Amino acid sequence: MKSARYLFGAVRAKSMEYYTWLLFIGIYLATGLFVPTLFIPATFLNVLVQGTTVGLLSIGMAFVMLVGEIDLSVVAVASFAPMAGILAWEIGLPVPAAILLTLLVGVGVGLFNGLLITKLRIPSLVQTCAMWWMLAGIVLVATRGMAKAGLPNSWMQLGRVFIGPIPLLVFFFIIVVSAAVIFARRTVTGRRLYLVGGNSEACSAMGIPVDRIRIIAFMTSGLFSALAGYALSARMGFVSARFAVEWLMPAIAAPVIAGLSLTGGRGNLINVVAGAYLVQLIVIVVRAGGVSGYSYEFVQGLLVFIAILVDTVRRRVTGL
Amino acid sequence: MRCNFCEDYQDRGPNMKKAGPILQVTGLSKNFGTLRALSNISFELAGGKILGLVGDNGAGRSTLLRILSGGLQPSGGQIYLEGKATRFKSPADAMKKGIAITYQFSQLVDIAKVWENFFMGRELTKRIGPLAFLDVQKMKHLAAGAIAKYGHTFDVEREARELSGGQRRLLAISRAIQANPKIFLMDEPTHGLSKRVINEIFDLLRKTKEASDTSIIITAQWYEQVCDFVDEVIVLRRGEVVGHFDAESADGGQVFKLAMGLTP
Repeated sequence: MKSARYLFGAVRAKSMEYYTWLLFIGIYLATGLFVPTLFIPATFLNVLVQGTTVGLLSIGMAFVMLVGEIDLSVVAVASFAPMAGILAWEIGLPVPAAILLTLLVGVGVGLFNGLLITKLRIPSLVQTCAMWWMLAGIVLVATRGMAKAGLPNSWMQLGRVFIGPIPLLVFFFIIVVSAAVIFARRTVTGRRLYLVGGNSEACSAMGIPVDRIRIIAFMTSGLFSALAGYALSARMGFVSARFAVEWLMPAIAAPVIAGLSLTGGRGNLINVVAGAYLVQLIVIVVRAGGVSGYSYEFVQGLLVFIAILVDTVRRRVTGL
Repeated sequence: MRCNFCEDYQDRGPNMKKAGPILQVTGLSKNFGTLRALSNISFELAGGKILGLVGDNGAGRSTLLRILSGGLQPSGGQIYLEGKATRFKSPADAMKKGIAITYQFSQLVDIAKVWENFFMGRELTKRIGPLAFLDVQKMKHLAAGAIAKYGHTFDVEREARELSGGQRRLLAISRAIQANPKIFLMDEPTHGLSKRVINEIFDLLRKTKEASDTSIIITAQWYEQVCDFVDEVIVLRRGEVVGHFDAESADGGQVFKLAMGLTP
């Protein structure tokens, strides 16, 4: 009897593990009844492609959430880093090097954030908020408020090349996210992110370099923000001071919907991708569903709020 | 260190008992601002011996243990490890030099699994090409084996928060033993546990001591909690050593009076 109950519990736990994907697929099918264009392959591809931006930002955010911190600078990095890459290209750096520079700038901002947060004990909310403000300001100065277009063709290939009917960007996204999942699950540093988020005091007592792990989390967040910014600029064909700003709230909401604890130590990155696509779906549906332009933000926020509410109730009820 | 856990474990056999003191502390002191937490602490610990540190609250037991495990820096005095002057710069540094510690409140990550807790800080990896990945199967297997060896059968896939108080303590202790330390520090391991669990833990420690040359320092508020177990006892009161006995000559009543500051 006891073992039967245990087995039932185990099965329930397994099916609940990827709950966010079930939720995403369920909502996709359900809203498809009202917005039939969702079932057209082109629309589906569109969701896949557009979701990569919030997906990459959310994965980066998830890494800092795992250690119990937050990174508000992600969207500023997403415009600052590719801006730095493009400016370097304009003064003669070859495109591959400019892309590499973009990623390094992202990692560098993360390193700087991480150092200040761990060594000077500045709360991450404050530090990354200041960083967000500063970087957005720098981009504004550098562009004089204009969108920077005329990017080189090879820069934009990621957003323009198709493999069969599927854009290269989707494959790129799958590879990058897989790397992130393997990093978090299967490497020493990745597991330590969870342990530090769970109980940093116990970690340092057991000789885990807690500060270094936290810094790595911020560097990873910076890297993914830069990747998101690069991919977005490759798709849109320009960089501007504000072009990723609208994705900050979705990038925070997606990991939360995916069940990442804001206090750290818990969460599955595969679900974060589903959370990101869920938020993206809401955004697209609200636009396609004929909601007036003025109400976009409210309706999107409301739906994300409901998704978080449903998830919270689910976790209370199932105890998972 | 991380990858050769097993070899490491087999390396130190039962025939390695050493004679000289493994740890020597001379004139150790610690001030917190104007508060003198420890003053002029000196003692020696021989290899394979068990030393009890007994004292009332505020006697300095925990402070001393924290200094010996790299959690605090002393204000004065010297520590010699195997005859060499040593300073433990951090908990990680102390661990590297062969010190293990368990605290009164087990340092476990509640929301991590038993095997993750068991191997935290010294995870096992296997290489695939140039990359090192966690060897999860091996860690689960070894953690389950270690726990079974100590007479327990709880599932290593459970989260630490699901364990009972005794199981948690046992997990923390078996984790420390598995690192095969030269010196094992235990801050009030008996606190808040039933007599049965305490006996179980002491049995486990005795077996460990027989199988290797690990020295143990154990703190307790009352001598009776550890009198069956220790080879010698140091009595601390207000940061000073007020008595040092071997187990044969130690007398519970006398230790109590010294620890409480009553004239013997």
